[in-house]
Amino acid sequence: MVEKKKEFRKRDFFYLVPLWLLSLIAPDPYLYHKKEFRKKDLYYLVAICLAPLIWPDPHFHHLMVLAGIYAILSLGLGLFMGYAGQISLGHAAFFGIGAYTTAILTARYALPTFLAFWASALSAALIAYLIGRPILKLKGYFLALATLGFGEIFLVIVRESTDLTGGIIGIFGVPWFSVMGFSFDTYLKQYYLAWGVLTGLFLFSKNLVRSKVGRALLAVAASEDAASSVGIDVPKAKLDIFVLGSAFAGLAGSLFACVMSTANPEAFSLGFTTLIVMMVILGGMGTIYGPVAGAILLTWLMDILSRYQEFSLPIYSVILILLLIFFPDGIGTRLNVRVIYLIGYWAKKKKRDEGKL
Amino acid sequence: MSLLSIETMTKEYDGVRALDRVSLRVEKGNIKGLIGPNGAGKSTLFHLISGVEKPDSGKILFKEKNITSLEPHERAAVGIGRTFQTVQIWGNMTVVENIMAGMDRRLRGGFFSYGFWFPWIRRSEKEALKEAKEILGSLSLLGKWESMASQLPFGKQKLLELGRALAMKPELLLLDEPASGLTLTEIEQLSERISQIRREGVTVFIVEHHMGMVMEIADEIAVLHNGELIAEGTPAAVRRNPAVMEAYLSRGPAGKRERH
Repeated sequence: MVEKKKEFRKRDFFYLVPLWLLSLIAPDPYLYHKKEFRKKDLYYLVAICLAPLIWPDPHFHHLMVLAGIYAILSLGLGLFMGYAGQISLGHAAFFGIGAYTTAILTARYALPTFLAFWASALSAALIAYLIGRPILKLKGYFLALATLGFGEIFLVIVRESTDLTGGIIGIFGVPWFSVMGFSFDTYLKQYYLAWGVLTGLFLFSKNLVRSKVGRALLAVAASEDAASSVGIDVPKAKLDIFVLGSAFAGLAGSLFACVMSTANPEAFSLGFTTLIVMMVILGGMGTIYGPVAGAILLTWLMDILSRYQEFSLPIYSVILILLLIFFPDGIGTRLNVRVIYLIGYWAKKKKRDEGKL
Repeated sequence: MSLLSIETMTKEYDGVRALDRVSLRVEKGNIKGLIGPNGAGKSTLFHLISGVEKPDSGKILFKEKNITSLEPHERAAVGIGRTFQTVQIWGNMTVVENIMAGMDRRLRGGFFSYGFWFPWIRRSEKEALKEAKEILGSLSLLGKWESMASQLPFGKQKLLELGRALAMKPELLLLDEPASGLTLTEIEQLSERISQIRREGVTVFIVEHHMGMVMEIADEIAVLHNGELIAEGTPAAVRRNPAVMEAYLSRGPAGKRERH
């Protein structure tokens, strides 16, 4: 017994060393200072850049490519759900619109992928605008139902209009993503493509949420009456962020089509929509780090569980339920509060007491 | 020239006449009080002015312009700010963000300029933060500027709501029962603050149950009873008005005077 105890202590000590090192970089969650957050971002960025070089495993690379694409998708949905406080169950449809736009433009009309990439965002945004104008007047469950209906209608259209979308079989032969002759043809290159795009969109979203736009969205989520009483145009704020989230989804869909070199209706079903919503909820609402964390977690989880064949879905659902019980407001938020709180607490306590922070 | 004038406004809810041909004027630079027993139609009148509800007939003129058909946020844009009877601060934001969100209509720049964080956006955000802190300072809330608004005690939340309405630099400020739920000292501070707001050139239109406070600070008082305007004038004149005494002392028709 005694020996065991000793062992534990030793191990605890070894855990403490990296934790202490981490605490030097980790932000102090007590205080809300923009400078601190910048440091954290840099830390994450370095981790993202180095991760595929540390693990030079193609399977890991491919998984992280998918995680990056899903993260773009859930980032857009996270803005709409977590900040504006609305709900959308049709987000997969915009992903699909992006994927099909790219597939049709490149495989059929042989346009460069770079052009198709932006066209995907535009078409997704345009359709989101047309759908959003009438639909966003609804609230709560009704909005959920309406967006759900839109997603299903999109699927039916894709399956039935065989000439345009290839029906159930889909479109094959989408070329690799390429910019000015540089082709992203390995998983490693695609990793940097997906995470590069994600980083750009992430910074864009971060600028939005820390400024007037983000404040207006949070105001709309908390009280629409109060928001309009200070001159915030509530329907416009909702529509803007819906269109932006859909444009993100369009970009993600375009990357997805290039990476998978195909677009077929299987990828954009209701199950996929719930997966994205789960990413946002598990990751944490009201933060933009959350959806990214949720996307990585769920992609990785699905991959690990896929080797258990028919047991994978029950295990998956049990894990989701447990996560929701223990992290009700998302791993992103809770991890920030729990782990980084603990790490940062002692290291910065002295500084804080002196009033330097 | 009066800043706000309401002309023969009528509003009905399911056959119950909440407001009956009410005409009212608020002069520029004044503090106007609106009093009346419960169910007299005060809140309805406020909802109609701020645009949450639309009148059945009659019109509202603000600075000689007809604003009857404007949406609430458009009314805010022409310069009408308000607070709510039940506190409606944004609990999901920090105190200073609440004030900054109140400045929304004064901050220029579109969606993309914020996303790309252009230099002028950086500047205007910085100035907004500075100004928000000044407003918080004048409300003595500066000590809590970084805590979440939902964690403030009730009295401070009411102050914050007032600060948010001031942050949009309104010309007319509608205060819906600002003193309800406050302690006596807090009410004193509040009335001082309201007088100061008026000195800064903002016209104030105030609905209040707390008679002492409204009699003290208002230049002019209007009394509503059963949806009709029964008296209007200086506080002293209103206090002596027999119709007002009647309305407050005797019970009106049953059902109209129920207490909450």
